[in-house]
Parts: sequence; structure tokens; C-alpha cells
Amino acid sequence: MPTTLSRRASALLPFALLALAGLVLTFAIQERYHHRILTLTLVWATMGLSWNIISGYAGQISFGHQAFFGIGAYVTILLIVHLGLTPWIGMLVGAAAAVLAAVLIGFPTFRLAGIYFALATLAYPLILRIFMDFLGYQEVAIPMIRERAWVYMQFLDPRAYNLLVLAAFLAVFWLSHAIERSRLGYWLRALKENEPAAEAMGVDTFRCKMAAYMLSAAPPAIIGAIYAHAVLFVVTPDAVFGLLVIVQTLVVCLVGGAGSKWGPLLGAAIMVPLSETLDMTLGDRFPGIQGIVYGAALVLVMLFAPEGLYWRFRGLLVGRRSAPAAALQPIASPQPDAAAPRAVATDGTPILEAHGVSKAFLGLRAVEDVSFVVRQGEILGIIGPNGAGKTTLFNVLNGFLLPESGEVRHRGQPITGLRPNRICRRGIGRTFQVVRAFPHLTVLENVMVGAFVRDAAEPDARARASAALARIGLETRADLLPTGLTTLDLRLMELARCMATAPELVLLDEPLAGLGRDGIEVMMALIRRLRAEGVTVAIIEHTMHALVRLADRLVVLDHGRLIAEGPPAQVTRDPAVIEAYLGKRWLRHAEGLRA
Amino acid sequence: MTFADLVQYVATGLLVGGVYALMSIGLALIFGVMRVVNFAQGDFMMLGMYLTYFFAIGYQVDPLLGALITIPPFFALGLLVHRVLLVRVTGGGDPQREMDAQLILTLGLSLIITNATTMILSPMPRGIRTAYATQAFAAGPILVNQARAYAFLMALLLAAAVYVFLTRTDLGKALRAAADDPEAAGYQGINVRAMHGIAFGVGIGLVAAAGGLLATYHPIEPTVAVNFIVLMFVAVVLGGLGSIPGAFVGGLLIGLVQSLTLLVLPFQLQNVGVFIAFLLVLYLRPQGLFGQRMRSV
Amino acid sequence: MLKVSALSVTYGGLHALDAVSLDVQEGEFITILGPNGAGKTTLLKAISGALPMVAGQIEYRGRDIGRLPSHARAGLGIAHVPEGRRVFPTLTVLENLVMGSYRAAARARRAETLETVFALFPILRERQRQVAGSLSGGEQQMLALGRGLMAQPDLLLLDEPSQGLGPRIVETIFEVIAEIRRSRRITILLVEQRVVEALELCDRGYVLETGQVVLHGDREALLRDERVQHAYLGA
Repeated sequence: MPTTLSRRASALLPFALLALAGLVLTFAIQERYHHRILTLTLVWATMGLSWNIISGYAGQISFGHQAFFGIGAYVTILLIVHLGLTPWIGMLVGAAAAVLAAVLIGFPTFRLAGIYFALATLAYPLILRIFMDFLGYQEVAIPMIRERAWVYMQFLDPRAYNLLVLAAFLAVFWLSHAIERSRLGYWLRALKENEPAAEAMGVDTFRCKMAAYMLSAAPPAIIGAIYAHAVLFVVTPDAVFGLLVIVQTLVVCLVGGAGSKWGPLLGAAIMVPLSETLDMTLGDRFPGIQGIVYGAALVLVMLFAPEGLYWRFRGLLVGRRSAPAAALQPIASPQPDAAAPRAVATDGTPILEAHGVSKAFLGLRAVEDVSFVVRQGEILGIIGPNGAGKTTLFNVLNGFLLPESGEVRHRGQPITGLRPNRICRRGIGRTFQVVRAFPHLTVLENVMVGAFVRDAAEPDARARASAALARIGLETRADLLPTGLTTLDLRLMELARCMATAPELVLLDEPLAGLGRDGIEVMMALIRRLRAEGVTVAIIEHTMHALVRLADRLVVLDHGRLIAEGPPAQVTRDPAVIEAYLGKRWLRHAEGLRA
Repeated sequence: MTFADLVQYVATGLLVGGVYALMSIGLALIFGVMRVVNFAQGDFMMLGMYLTYFFAIGYQVDPLLGALITIPPFFALGLLVHRVLLVRVTGGGDPQREMDAQLILTLGLSLIITNATTMILSPMPRGIRTAYATQAFAAGPILVNQARAYAFLMALLLAAAVYVFLTRTDLGKALRAAADDPEAAGYQGINVRAMHGIAFGVGIGLVAAAGGLLATYHPIEPTVAVNFIVLMFVAVVLGGLGSIPGAFVGGLLIGLVQSLTLLVLPFQLQNVGVFIAFLLVLYLRPQGLFGQRMRSV
Repeated sequence: MLKVSALSVTYGGLHALDAVSLDVQEGEFITILGPNGAGKTTLLKAISGALPMVAGQIEYRGRDIGRLPSHARAGLGIAHVPEGRRVFPTLTVLENLVMGSYRAAARARRAETLETVFALFPILRERQRQVAGSLSGGEQQMLALGRGLMAQPDLLLLDEPSQGLGPRIVETIFEVIAEIRRSRRITILLVEQRVVEALELCDRGYVLETGQVVLHGDREALLRDERVQHAYLGA
């Protein structure tokens, strides 16, 4: 593993290169309109980077980011016009206004699912645009300052603007870099991939989305203010709140590749010079050529390379460190986790209790008056025919659903109705049947998402994640990407991710589904070992053969009711259970056979 | 303000709303069957306006009739666009990602259409002059612009035709079945991909006809699309995404909201009422009036 | 009539079916048993075309249908009555049934078939103008069955028709299935949880477990075999 020093250096290197490239271009370019293209490229790259924070990392596609751009431009300009305030301060006020707007917009809007979020964000810039028109600000010209123009961000030399925008770009590039390496960044990518799973891993998804939104709102305001001074000179509502602003942002980000800090720059470097040059040369004869270029870019990207050029190239060049089809050799001798905190107590203390839990959907009673206890150190299996309510029960235990009646207690404390991320922090982990790995992160980084619940700093989380992988026996896969991993490996990674949250109880949802005979054996051995290390396990499974060997006790649900409880040998002979699985008539039939 | 004034506002709002309703039905049909939010809907409407204009100028075809004539060519265009573009981004694995991708793709399409039209036909606004565009019916103290009245009636007629199509023909029922449950529809022998194409074609045809009707009283220019696409979105969300009767009612309501906003806000802020209604619906009752539970995404 | 050879299907990244083979003669009634997650529904979906195969072959009346989309297979006379009924909730009962006879061969005889279905399920005639989403579970199951029959199928795939229904309705459903069998000699593939009811109706059966066929035989043999219970309960 690279040392902290060399990692620091490797982080600064691209930064330095970009700064250098920017400076070289600024001073090498002669023509005025080339300077303009450079300014515009960096403006849109910065906008793209900002949009990327909420829409690329967090996956919440916003069609309203131009609202922040326009707020920055207008606040700054109006402060100059009405108060004579220098834009160097004015743009900070604009940024604050934009962040406030982000809070106000984000609060109600993040509750909305998917497409509704995108549609809602669309409305705000439209409203702002109409208001600006209405308030009489159809055209606000920046007052020309003669003396000490630099105080008012007015420069005759276009290179000054190049440098200004370069500085803004580098700042947001650094911000993106910092986010990517931080706990927030890992959590954002987790919630983008699978929000419920992220919650179950301890991520407070609402707070993360708000944080990302606020961070993504400040840079557009600043760049909007600069744009007004460097390019517009006269601010109109359409120029800063209009469709073309969000379109250019989308284009650079999508063509370049969302979800990465390089993507927007790549996209901007290609699209902006292209469209500006076309506009300049052909724009008179063909008005609207820019719009066509951008529109075509969006269509082509969505059809052929929706992930963006950056990811496409990366995939090809680095030949991707995907897992070879070699067989897995893990469970030979994984290390017990040295940091495992809990003592192995098999005194039968109840860790989790459900009392009279009932949950109905649209009149259908999915879980009805279910009570049982999970004791420390045991492996409890929860079984039942299809539709018996097992997953609903887990969802109640885990905080995804609120029961109509009954309560859930953890070590005596009621936890009914707590958000899943809080329940995870208390030490109750959960895995899901369908593993959604984060495709652009290595196996180790995937596991780090869980580790961040316990450690705020990246190096600590990394160490904890490594330990969790070793505990599961997956350390040889640590630096691979999840694509190409076998189902078993993915399940193991999911388990490692769960273990990295340092749980004392894990709720496993069908961990054996879809595994072959060998995979099932590996999983079972692993679960037994985890229990030996002090983790209590509750499993939902269909695969009876495995579970009767694995579980200490079984709890059987049928049509939402608990119909049997006890050791496997006893439960599988229980008439009520046989009836539930094979039908009432089989029972009599089987008795008849034995007679 | 008198009661008669109020009735006037309501009447105007409903008349205008009728045409909005027709536009929105197209969008709702496309969303209901394909789960595609077609950002380019407004642009196809704009093209419909232009085609109607050309029929009017070139062949002296009354725009009310011209609107009907636009339906077949735009149906064909819809089939083509579906086959060439949309087929690649529908029917895949992840519905959520898909919807974002389709929204962006259709946004791109919208940009191409608007700007190509500006380039080829010039941004100068045009209008169709008919005898009735400047005349009004008088119903007591209420004045009803004749063009809007005729457009409203035609819109109702077309909406009724759509209703009959969807409820009385095998093909219409198959479309609704494909919207309800594509997998089960396949089991009945319904070619769901073909249904998508047909839904898109019909949706585009309807919005083009709506454009033709709109052209009887609204100036024709390439930027018209942007003004109406948001109105259509609002109407469809208000009615309930995927519900066709909902979209119809939503369109009427949006016309009313737009008109009644003038009672409290000045003219320039007319659409603010619509946008605020949009946000309120999204926040308070996202499934809309006819709350069709979204196929889980 | 139907020949499935070494069929493997992956579903959601999991191996749902592993080299499954089965053989169905024209006119036979075959039942597919096994616990949840065994792959029974996956098998039916692979046959009717809703799920793609990873390996193997499906032959229907001598023709390789593995590449055909589901609507094309339905057009050939394969009717799939899916798990969970899946009626079209916003369409009326009558419209649902009409959709059942969408394929050309069935459309011509629609009126006649409709009468037959109403005779089998009088409650559907009563509720024909009602929207299908408002029907009870049992009524929806009858509608789903009726819809399948409207296709005048040669091969009928039934996926857990008794699921989630009360005992009396289940009895009715099984009676109707037996009646269909008696009067029509359609080839039927039935997936069921209620082992005895299913075995009593069938000619032969296959038992699936974790994506593989672990038992098969004719009706009498399976009814006598305790390994059937073992497949469900692991003991």
C-alpha cells in the first residue's frame, strides 16, 4: 500500500499539472477570442464539477442548477448597482444566498422519488426567471468603472479573467477531490447505487444529500458572478437562468463522464471549443448551430456512451482490474478480527426482541402478532413458505417499516421506528439478497463504506475495511473491481461490508440464494466462524437443507403468523410446519404412507 | 370585479385548457405505456404548428382541418423516432436510471428540433389569419373568442376519439394492457415493443394536432416549445403520471389556473401560478389526482 | 410436444436453473414441485420467453423457440398464467378476457370461447364490467385462468394458482383445472405448492430443488416417495 507521503504527492500532482497547463495556455494564447474560449471552457467545466457533486456522486439528477448560477450573478450585480459593493465580496454573498436556496429547495424536494425530484428542480429557475423579468431586471448592465477597475473585477486584459476562472476551477476540482476521499464521498456513492442498502449500512441519506446539495450550490454562484463580468457584461434572466445554462452543464458532464472529477473538464475541453468555433464561423448563416451541437451531443452520449468518455477510456486503457475467472481460495485461514470487541457470551441474553409485531399493506396482513427473541451467540433461522412475511419482518426489525402495532427492542431498549442508519449504528447490521456493489470502487473501497460508520477519517476506515476483508477471507480481492466477481465473492464482500460496521447482530437476507453447493458450504462455514467470534446471526433462508444444519433454532412463519419455534430437528417434524410447506393433505397422506 | 368577469376568466381558462388537455394526453400516453418522460413533446407540437401553417398558406386548408391532417405524418414520425432512438434506452434493467437517461435523451432531441427549425425556417414569428380568429361569440356578457372555441371543440373531439380508440379497439386495449403490466401483456401475445412505438406515434400525432389547433390563435415560432412543455408536465403530474383521463383533467385545470392567476397576479407572472401549483402537487400529492400507483421503480 | 434440454437460466445474477431437462408429451398433465427458490417460476418463464436462457434448448412441437420473444411464443399457442395472477388492473374483466384472445388464431373464435369461459366461471360474467383491480384474490385468479383459456392454447402453463387464496376457493380452482383437463386435453404444466392436490391431478411430476431436477416420475411413484418431503424441508 502506498505510504501517506506518496499518496499526498500523487494527489497534488494532477492538481499541479492542471494549474501549469492553465497558466501555459493563458500566457501562450494570443487572440482575444481564444481567451474567451478558454474562459468559457473553464466556466462550464466548473459548473459541471459542481453539478457533479449532487448529480454525479449522489445520483440525484438536478435540472435546476442554473438557479444557483443566476442567483450568484444577480446578487453580485445588484449589490454593485445598489450598494456599490465590490463583487469580490458580493460573490461571497451570492454564494451564501445560493446555499440558503439549496437548503430551502432541498428540504422538501429530497423526499421525492426519482423522476419527481428532477421535475421539481426544473421549476425553480423558471420561477426565478419570471420574477427577475417582473421586478424590472430584464437587463442589468454592469457599470463601467474607470479607476482601479480591478476592485470591481473589471480587467482590460482577458488573461486576468482566464486566471480568475482557472483559480475557481482549481478550487472546485480540489473540493471534488476532497469529497471523493472523504466519508461523505463514499456515502454519496453508496446512496446513489442503492439507497436502502446505504441506510442499512449506517448512512444518514437525507443529511448526506443535503450536504452535497449545499456544497454543489456555492461554486455555481461564484462562477456565475465571474461569468457576468467576463462574458456577459449585461445580465438578463435568460442568460443566467435559462435552459442553455443547464444544457451546457449537462453536456460537459455527461459527455465527459459524471461521477468523476476529470469528466467535466474532459467534456468541456471537447464541447466548448467545438461549439464556440462552430458558432463563430457558421453562426451567422446557421443560427442555433450551438443548440444543435449540444442536443446532438446529449443524444449521442445517451445512446452510445451513457457513462461518459472518461469512464469509457478508463475501462479500455487500464484493461480494468477485474477479477480473473480463477477459483476462490479464501476460507483456508482467514484471521479472526483482532479488533473484535465483543466477548463471546453464550449466556442466552436476548439481544433483539420482537413483541406482537404486526404490519399490513393495503389490507393484506403481511406480519401478524409475531413475537420472538434472538439470543446472544445463536444462529437463528427464520423460515416459511413464500409470502410468509419474512422479509417484511426483517424490514420492521431493521427500521425500513413501521409496524402498526408491537415493538422491537434491542438489549431492552425500544428501537421501533428508528431510522435504519441509526439501528445500524447501534450494532445491528443487515445484508440484502441482491448485492448492489458500487461499480467504480474497488472491493476494499466498497467495504470502506461500512467502515465509515465507525471511523470518520479515511485511513482509519481503510484499515478497518482491510481487517474486515481479512476476517471474511477476501483480502486477495481487495483491489479488484466488483464487475466479474462471482456471486459468492459478491456475497462475501457484502458480508465484509456489514462486518465493517462492527455489528453485534447481523440480519442476513437469503445469503445462500443462487449459490452452488460449494458456495453454500463456504458461506455456512463463514457464518459459523463469525458466530464463534461473538456475532449473533439471524438468517432468512429458503434453502432448507443448509439451514437445518446451520441454525441452532428455527422460527417458522406462515401467512404472517409464527407457527413454530425450536431446534431444526423438532421443527421439521412439526405437523403445522409440514402443512405450511406441503399442504394439509400431504400430512395425512404421509401418515397414511407410514401406516 | 363582477361575477360575469369571473365567469369570463373561467371560460377562457377552460377553452385554453382544452387544448392543453389534448397536448397532455399525448404525453401521458407515452409515459403510461413506455415510462418515458418525453421532453421533446413541445417541439413536436411546434412542428405540428408549422405543418398546419404550411397547409394553410400553401393550400388554403383551414387550420382546424390542417390539425387533423398532421396526425398521420406525425404518427409515422413517432414510429421512426421510437425505432431509431428510444428503443435503445427502454426495456433495459434499471428503471430509475433509464428514466433519467430518457429525459436527457429527449432533452437533446428537443434542442436539435428547436434549433434546426430556427436555422431552417427563421425565428420570425408567423401567424395564421382566419376569419374567426378575431371574432367572438357572445353568451350574455361573456365573450368567447371564436378561434379558441373551435379549437376547444376540436380538442374535445380528438380526446373523445382517443377515448374510443383506447376502450373500444383491440389495439387500444392492448396499449393499456402493455401499460399496466408489460410482462403479462407479452404472455397474451402482445408485442410490447411494438406497443411502445405505437404509443409514441399516437402521442406525437396528438400533440402535433394540438399544435395545429393552437396555431389558430397563437403565434408560431420555434421557441414555442419551451413555453408549453412545462405546462404539459404540470398537467400530467397533476392528473397523475400515466393516467390519461387524469392528463385531460389536468390540462383543463392548468388552463384554469393560468387564467385565474390573472385575478391576483399581473400578466407577466401568469405562469408563476402554474409553477407553484406544480411544486405543490409534487410535494403534497405526487401521485396526482387520479393517483395511478407507479409501477414500482 | 415440449422438450427442454439442459436449460440454464441466470436471474438477477443468481443461478436460478442449472441444466434442467424435461419432456412433455402432447396431452399430458405435468406438475412441477419444489420449495421456494427452487426455480419453478423461472422454469415457466424461460419456457414462455419472459426470461432469457444462458444455455440449453427449448423445443416446442419440434421447433426451437429459444430465440423467440414471449409474444411470439404466445402466438404459437403457449399460454402462461403467471404467479400472482397479474391481471391488468385498470382494464375491466371483459377487457382482460378479450386480451387473452389477442393472438390471431384465438381472435376468430373469441365469442365462442368467451361463452365457454363464462360457463366455467359464472362470477366473471357477473362482474364483466368491473375493473379487474377491484376483484378479490380468488376472482382475480379465475380471471387469470379464464384469460389464459381465451387464447385457445395448446400448452397451458399455470404458476401457483392456489397462492394466497383461501381453502374453499382453492378447491374451486383445482376443480376447474380438473374440468379443463377432462373436457379439452390441453397439455398442462402446473407449478404448485400444494403437493397432494397437484400430484392427484397430474400424470407425471418433476421435483426441483436449488435449480436442479432432483426427482421425477409418474404420479403414483411420487405420491409414495418420502423424498418429496425431504426436498421441501431438508429433513
